[in-house]
Amino acid sequence: MLTWLSQNIGTIIVLLVVVLIVAAIVKSMRRDKKNGKSSCGGNCAACRGGCMHAQK
Amino acid sequence: MKIKIALAGNPNCGKTTLFNALTGSNQFVGNWPGVTVEKKEGKLKKHDDVVITDLPGIYSLSPYTLEEVVARNYLIQERPEAILNIIDGTNLERNLYLTTQLVELGIPVVVAVNMMDVVNKNGDKIDTNALGKALGCKVVEISALKGTGIEEAAEAAIHAAQNTKTIPQHSFSGVVEHAIAHIEEVAVHTLPEEQQRFFAIKIFERDEKIIEQLGLTQDNRKHIETDIEAAEKELDDDAESIITNERYVYIASIIKQCYKKKNNGGLTVSDKIDKVVTNRILALPIFAVVMFIVYYISVTTVGTVATDWANDGVFGDGWHLFGIGAGEYEDVSGEFGDAANVIDAFVTAEGADDVADAIDTESDTFDASAAASALDTFAASVSDDATADYTLVDEETLAEEDVTYTGAELKEAVATYTSYGCEEPDPADYGVWVPGLPGIIESGLDAVNCADWLKGLILDGIVAGVGAVLGFVPQMLVLFIFLAFLESCGYMARIAFVMDRIFRKFGLSGKSFIPILIGTGCGVPGIMASRTIENERDRRMTIMTTTFIPCGAKLPFIAMIAGAIFGGAPWVAPSAYFLGIVAIICSGIILKKTKMFAGDPAPFVMELPAYHWPTVSNVLRSMWERGWSFIKKAGTIILLSTIIVWFTTYFGVVDGAFRMLTEDEISNSILATIGNAIAWIFAPLGWGNWQAAVASITGLVAKENIVGTLGILYGGGDGTVYSNMASHFTVVSGYAFLAFNLLCAPCFAAIGAIKREMNNAKWTWFAIGYQCGFAYLVAFVINQLGSIALGTANVFGIIVSIVLIVLFIFLLVRPYKESTTLSNRAVKVK
Repeated sequence: MLTWLSQNIGTIIVLLVVVLIVAAIVKSMRRDKKNGKSSCGGNCAACRGGCMHAQK
Repeated sequence: MKIKIALAGNPNCGKTTLFNALTGSNQFVGNWPGVTVEKKEGKLKKHDDVVITDLPGIYSLSPYTLEEVVARNYLIQERPEAILNIIDGTNLERNLYLTTQLVELGIPVVVAVNMMDVVNKNGDKIDTNALGKALGCKVVEISALKGTGIEEAAEAAIHAAQNTKTIPQHSFSGVVEHAIAHIEEVAVHTLPEEQQRFFAIKIFERDEKIIEQLGLTQDNRKHIETDIEAAEKELDDDAESIITNERYVYIASIIKQCYKKKNNGGLTVSDKIDKVVTNRILALPIFAVVMFIVYYISVTTVGTVATDWANDGVFGDGWHLFGIGAGEYEDVSGEFGDAANVIDAFVTAEGADDVADAIDTESDTFDASAAASALDTFAASVSDDATADYTLVDEETLAEEDVTYTGAELKEAVATYTSYGCEEPDPADYGVWVPGLPGIIESGLDAVNCADWLKGLILDGIVAGVGAVLGFVPQMLVLFIFLAFLESCGYMARIAFVMDRIFRKFGLSGKSFIPILIGTGCGVPGIMASRTIENERDRRMTIMTTTFIPCGAKLPFIAMIAGAIFGGAPWVAPSAYFLGIVAIICSGIILKKTKMFAGDPAPFVMELPAYHWPTVSNVLRSMWERGWSFIKKAGTIILLSTIIVWFTTYFGVVDGAFRMLTEDEISNSILATIGNAIAWIFAPLGWGNWQAAVASITGLVAKENIVGTLGILYGGGDGTVYSNMASHFTVVSGYAFLAFNLLCAPCFAAIGAIKREMNNAKWTWFAIGYQCGFAYLVAFVINQLGSIALGTANVFGIIVSIVLIVLFIFLLVRPYKESTTLSNRAVKVK
């Protein structure tokens, strides 16, 4: 087991980083959706008033 | 105590610019009316207890438009502590009409005369003290754009909120005042004294919404009606017109006292420019030239240089810092490349496979000295006067040139080739070389001994996909600078006006063009902006057609097709924009002639703002906000999509076993299976390969995804993404692919916006169906007729295309029956 771990530690670390990035993205997208930002990428300031989202 | 200050004023008088300056906000500012539909709030800088509300631009407090309803409801129901009324100093008469109504609300008003810099520049004079006395409130001079006087205006509004009351100075004619006094006594005496006058005047105007809000009894209404009718009889006009006329008479008297114009009747610079750019004949050609230049510069020239650096440098092999060593490397690389071409020509002509194997640098058994020796032997075996034909392909333009080499040239070429050790010169050996991101990441992954599958996911999936999208950021930023400039200087507002003239001929309204203008940035706010169109049929039609205009997200795709399939031809990107406009106009004409959308076009009243030089900060802010939105999307939704696309591309079933695939096996992947299942649908459009089919589907997540997906799918194997794409498409099928993806259903976010704005599932599906159907037919005709030029035409396809074109022309030119019916109705009413 330890041998396998030591042989693959690089892959495990990189995989963890990728998984963390994906989790952060999913979390940020869910938060944006909750805040009503999902439909337009959340850039209310650039949406020129056509967007109904309240200014935060 | 918290103080609420409302910013109110006519459309395009500078409210949002002032709001941004007062609150430090970043709200979008456009030089056309109707930018703000919703009210927006922000805290006044250095005053945490003062909230500024930016209201939509309105001409009056009558509830005729959505903006007027939003603004009026806020003022009546929320009752801010003060109103900061911004008026355009260059157009006092029209702006003061709203002011005369605001001062009647019983809320302290401070008038800020904006654009004083322009007024002074024109040599005009406004006596603000006299204006203040005539209106019964404080008047301050400001220039929101230059930031002068804005703090004083805010302080004056805070002071007014705490200390003063605004008492209207204007009295209507005797008979009207008599009626108003009666109304106050009968209907609104229970309201606070300062509010009674506003409500009484509105009741006199028979404002149904106010009457409903006050809940007047039938008896009271009858009683009041007698007074109103008496006034109408005496003044021989309807009540609303009486109030309007008397307000304008009052405004005229104020202007006489307070305003001195230097050039009465002379043409302003804006008028002179408008004489050319809105000219009946020249307007459209000028617009076409302007947009051609915008897209040409953004996509083909300046943008391409930057995007090449991003694609080939940052997300490619790397780049020479500040170009140091780039020239020297290009020389040696060119020399080596020429020699390689000559050798390739003879090796192919002579069928010398053993030599080809010996010089294959990617072979595991490659040995430089063995390669040199094989080449020397081969060159010696070819006589000096022997010849070999070769076709040179220009990487940039894809232009082909046939050349013939001689045996003597081969000997020189071999000498050159072997002098480089039979290997392509390494750019890192020349000047200051900065490796590209993929190279850096690959070295890092190799250093930690990362597994091949994870390396593949990161390099061939995430970096290739996201990199392909981000590589286009420079082009997008250049385009956004141009669009921001055209919007801010006032030109785009003219285009809405010019388009209205054309649209109206076909029963459409210029109002539909505003959402289209907004849609050039992003389709979602474009679709949402359609809610300002009161006519439901026109609104639905606008929602259905707005996304035909290429949004920012489609630009990378357009640029990719132009670069990969058309060798960077300058006409491709502008043609995509005009294809969108033509699709909108033609769809509008065709749909308007159907029962579902028939009806007179909604009136389109739009004030053309004066031209002005936009501030650099405003243009850069607009550019950055749109660009940042794009970058953020690449780092979130696009990144997730690339992981899914990579996984489904590099995993699949081979010989009954599910496993990771090599590059040669991706035709067995999950994505290929899905793509092959649907590719037949697109075969009549000329691109029935699974890669293009799945790219179109992933484009529904976000349009940038098409580029990301193509970057992954065409990234493997020999050659670059562009060269691999060029080998899969002809110019005709490439343009059909472009046309389909530009016109078909937009991304899910925009489809969601369509669903919300339609508020009806049937209409939403109809809109998506129409867009996909229209896109399919356009791409079909392009491919079938274009194939005639390529000599690959199909008789059945040509016949169907001709039938479609005839049907299309019939739908365009058939008489508009409903219009006649409606005009007849109008005549009957008269």
